[in-house]
Amino acid sequence: MSENEVRVIGLNGSPKKTGNTGKLLSSCLAGAEEAGGIVTKVHLGDLKGVSCLGCNTCHTLGRCIREDDITELFKEILAADLVIVASPIYSMSVTSELKTVIDRAHYLWAMKFRTFTLTFSDEHLQTHKGIFLSTAGMADPEVFKHSLPIITAFFNGIGVDYSANLLFEDMDTYGGIEKHPGALEQVYAAGKETVIAIREEKEKLR
Amino acid sequence: MSIRVFALATSPRRHGNSETLLDGMLKAMEQHGADVTKHALTELKILPCRGCNSCEKNGECVIKKDDTKNILDEMIAADIVIFAAPIFCMGIPSQAKALVDRMQVLRSRKFVLEMPIVPKERKGKRIGVFLSTAGQDWDWVFDSTIPTIECFFGLQDIKKKEIRYLMINNVDKKGEILKHPTACNEAKLIARQIMGDIQALQEVE
Repeated sequence: MSENEVRVIGLNGSPKKTGNTGKLLSSCLAGAEEAGGIVTKVHLGDLKGVSCLGCNTCHTLGRCIREDDITELFKEILAADLVIVASPIYSMSVTSELKTVIDRAHYLWAMKFRTFTLTFSDEHLQTHKGIFLSTAGMADPEVFKHSLPIITAFFNGIGVDYSANLLFEDMDTYGGIEKHPGALEQVYAAGKETVIAIREEKEKLR
Repeated sequence: MSIRVFALATSPRRHGNSETLLDGMLKAMEQHGADVTKHALTELKILPCRGCNSCEKNGECVIKKDDTKNILDEMIAADIVIFAAPIFCMGIPSQAKALVDRMQVLRSRKFVLEMPIVPKERKGKRIGVFLSTAGQDWDWVFDSTIPTIECFFGLQDIKKKEIRYLMINNVDKKGEILKHPTACNEAKLIARQIMGDIQALQEVE
C-alpha cells in the first residue's frame, strides 16, 4: 500500500440497495473514486451478523466474542481512511441494520476505556475522516438531529474525525433524490474533496 | 374488566437492569389487579423492515414468517404498554429498533390508508411507559432516544401526553439497578400512579 493511497468504505444502512440513500452513497463514493480513492461499498443488509448481546465480555477481553461478517467488516472499517455511513431515517433514527453495526462497535469503546488496549493519536484523527449521509421523507430538517449523537458515538469508536453531515429531508415531496436540486452533486463533491483533504494531511505528516 | 398490561423487555441481556426495573413495575401493577403479559425480545423473531412500502397499499406487511404481527396485535389490545430498553450507543438496541422499524405498517394504516389503529372509544384511554437504563452518567444520555419512543407509542395511538418515563442513568453492571437509591421504589410508585390514572381514564364516558 502506497503512502498516498486513500481507502474509502461506504456503508449502506438502507434495506434498499438503490433507493434514495443508496444513490446518495454511490454518488459520494464516485466522487471519492474520482479523486483517486480506493473505494468499497457494503450493503449492510447482505451481511450475516448478530446484534450485540450486551454480554460486556469485551470489557475484560478487549474484543467481541462473536465472529461473523460484522467482525470482518470492522477490519475493513478500521483499515479505511474515510468512512461514509448512509442511512434513511426510520422512526426518528437510523435503521436497525446500521444500528446493529454501531452497537457491535461497543468492543472498541471497551478497548479504549476498559482494557486500555486502543488509542487513536492526533495524527490518526487528522488523516481519518467520517461522513454521514441521510435522507428522510418528512419535510422537517430536525428529523436528523437525534441520529447525530449515535453517529458521533460510532465515529469516536472507530477513530475517525466526524467531518460532515449531508442530510436531505422532504424526499416524499421531491419524489426521489434525483429530483432534489443538487443533492447528488453535493455528495459527489464532498466525497472528492474529503479524499483530497486526507491525502494532503497525509503528505503534511510525512 | 381488568387492566391489560403488555410489557416488552427489549434488552439482549436477560434479567439485566432494564428488565429488573420492568419486573418491579409489573409486580406492583399485578398487586393492583392488572392482567400482565410480558415478552422478552430475545425470545421472539423480529426481522428488519425491507422498506418496500407495500404496506402503503393494503395495510399489511409482506413479512409473515416472524412474530411481529402477533406482537403488534397484542400491544394494540392492551391498556398499558411498557417498553423497557437499555441505551446502546445513544439509542435503543438494534434488536428493539428492528421492531420499531416494522411498525411502519401501522404508519401506513394510520396516515396513508387512514385506517383506525384502535377503536374510537379506546383512544386517549391507554398509557405508554418507557423504562430505560444507561451505563453513562450523562444527564442527556436518553435525549436522542425519546423521539423514537414517541414514534413507537404514537404509531399505536398513544399520544405524547399519555407516555410516562422512568429513565435511570449510571447503572452499567448487571444487577446495579438494585443498588440504586431510588429506581426500584420509583418504579413501584409510578406503577401505582399509572394504575390509578388508567382506571380514572376508563371511567370517563
